[in-house]
Amino acid sequence: MGSINAAFSLIAGALDADQAALSVVANNVANANTVGYTEETPDWQENQPVTIGGVSYGQGVTETGATSLRDRVLEERLDQQQQLASSSGARLTSLNSLQALFTPDSGSSGSKAGDIGSDITGFFSSFSSLEADPTNNSLRQEVLSSATTLAGDISNAAASLNQQGGALDQEASGVTSQVNALTGAIAQLNQQITTTSPNADAGTLEDQRQEDLSQLSQLVGINQISTGNNGLAITTTSGQLLVSGNTNNQMTTGSVDGVTHFFVGTTDVTTELASGGGSLGGYLTARDQDIPSAMNSLDQLAYGVSTEVNSLNNAGTDLTGATGSAASPLNVFNEPTQVAGSAIAMSVVMTDPGQIAAAGAGQGSGDNSNATAMANLANQSIVGGYTPTNYYSNFVSTLGATVSGVQAENTAQNASVTQLQTQNNALSGVNLNDEASAMSTLEQSYQAGSQVFNLLNTIMTSALNLGQETTVS
Amino acid sequence: MHEFGARRERPELKQLVMEASRALALLDAGRLEELALSCQALNRDLGTSGRADRPRMARQAREAAAEMAVLGRVLEATRGNLEVMNRLRELRAGRLEYGAPKAAGWASQGSGHGVD
Repeated sequence: MGSINAAFSLIAGALDADQAALSVVANNVANANTVGYTEETPDWQENQPVTIGGVSYGQGVTETGATSLRDRVLEERLDQQQQLASSSGARLTSLNSLQALFTPDSGSSGSKAGDIGSDITGFFSSFSSLEADPTNNSLRQEVLSSATTLAGDISNAAASLNQQGGALDQEASGVTSQVNALTGAIAQLNQQITTTSPNADAGTLEDQRQEDLSQLSQLVGINQISTGNNGLAITTTSGQLLVSGNTNNQMTTGSVDGVTHFFVGTTDVTTELASGGGSLGGYLTARDQDIPSAMNSLDQLAYGVSTEVNSLNNAGTDLTGATGSAASPLNVFNEPTQVAGSAIAMSVVMTDPGQIAAAGAGQGSGDNSNATAMANLANQSIVGGYTPTNYYSNFVSTLGATVSGVQAENTAQNASVTQLQTQNNALSGVNLNDEASAMSTLEQSYQAGSQVFNLLNTIMTSALNLGQETTVS
Repeated sequence: MHEFGARRERPELKQLVMEASRALALLDAGRLEELALSCQALNRDLGTSGRADRPRMARQAREAAAEMAVLGRVLEATRGNLEVMNRLRELRAGRLEYGAPKAAGWASQGSGHGVD
C-alpha cells in the first residue's frame, strides 16, 4: 500500500471527493434564487486507514452526501412572527373598513353612518327649535324628519356591520380548505422525510415542508413539535393536533347560531383560533370581537335615545291634547324591548307630527315644557353614563385608538419578519453575507436603533415641555 | 445649494421617526447611525431654539407620538430577534466545542503518519 499506485489512488479519491463537494456548491449557486432553498454543505467520511509494518496510513476522505444548513429554532421563530403579522394584518384590513364606515362623508350613498354624530345634534336641536313655537307644524315635521335621518343612519350602520361580519365569516371559512391542503401535504412530506432521514439528508423535502409550514403560519396559529428522524407534529396554538406523523386531522366548519364555527375532530376551537394567530385569527378576532363591540355601541346608543325620547313624549301632551298610554302610546321611535338588536331595528314609527308632545302633562298645546325637556336630553347622561353625543364620540375615538394600536402592532411584526428573513437567508440561504456578518448587522442596528429611540424620546419630551412653558408664559 | 450660514429646512419629527422604524426593520445600521447624528444635532438645536420655534416643535412632538409607539414596538421586536439569534449563536458555539465526537475519535486512533 506504500506504493506509487496507492499514492495515486489516494489522490484520485481526494479529487473525487472534491468534485462531489463542488457539485454541492454548484447546486447551492444554481438554487440561489429558488424560494425556500436551504444551502447544503458536503459531508465527509474518513476512509479506514491501513496499517503496514506497524505504521498507519490514512486513506483520505469520501464525500458521502450533503447536509442542509437549517436551523429549526430560527425557522420556528420566523413562523411564529409570521403568524402574528398575518393575524394583525387581516384584523387591520377589517378595522380599516369599520373605521371608514364611521368616518364622516365616507359612507356609501345608502348608508351615512359617518353622519351619526351630526344626526344626534340635529335631532335634539330640532326640539330646541320647536320650543320657540310648539304648535308650528313645519317645526314638528322637522323633528320627525331629523329623527328619521338619525334612525336611518344608525340602522344602516348596523346593517353594514352585519354585512362586514358576514364577509369575514366567509373569508374565515375559506381558510379551512387551504389549511387542510397544507396539513395534508406536510403529513406526506413528514413520511418521506422520516423514511429518508436515518440514512441521508432530506434537505429538499425539508425545504418543501418549511415552505408549507410558512404558508400554514400565515393562515393559522400553530405549534411545531419535533419528532424522531426529523418528523414534525403540528398542533393549533391551543394544542389540537393537526398533523401527527403521516396523518393530518381535518379542520371542519359548522354553523352554530348562524355563525361559522371551526372544529378539529369534534372539538370546537373557534375561540382558540381567534387568539391563535394567522389570517384566520385576524378574521375571527374582527368577526367575534371588533364587529360585535361596534354593534353593541350602536345598540346602546339606539336603545338609550329611543327609550328616553319615547318615555318623555308619552309623558307630555300632544297637539290634540292627548297623552300617551299603554293602549295608544305616543312613541317617536320603534320601542326596543332589549339593548341587543336595537340599532338595526331603529326606525321612526310616528307618522303624524301632531303627536309630538311638546307640551307638559296637563298643559295646553301652546306649552313647550316637554319640548324643552326633550331638547335637554342632549345634555343628559342617557347612554351608558354619557350624553348621546359624547357616547358616540367616545365610540369613534376608541375605534380609532384600536385601529392605531393594531396598525402599530402590524408594522412592528412585519418589521420583525423582515429582520428574521434576513437572518435566516444569511444562515440557511445562499447569500454572500455570512452568518457572522448578518449577526453583527443585527446587533449594530439594534444599538443604533436604541440610540435613535432614546434621542427622539428626549427631543419629544423637551419639545413638549418647552412648548408648555411657552404657552404658560 | 444652500448658502453658507443659511438654515436648512428640517424634516418633520414624524418623518424622522418613521424613517428610523423603516431603517430598523430593514436592519440598515448605516442609516440608523446617520439618523442618530441628526437627532443629536436636533437635540442641541432644541436647547438653543427661540421661543417662536417652541410651539412648532411641541406640535411636531404631539404629531409624532403614534409613530414613536411604532418605533418602540419595532425596537422591542428587534430585541426579541437579537435574543433568539444570540441564543442560536451560543448553541452553535456549544455544538462546535463539545459536539464533535468524531474529532476526538480520530485523535485517539491517529498515528501521526496519516496523509489524509
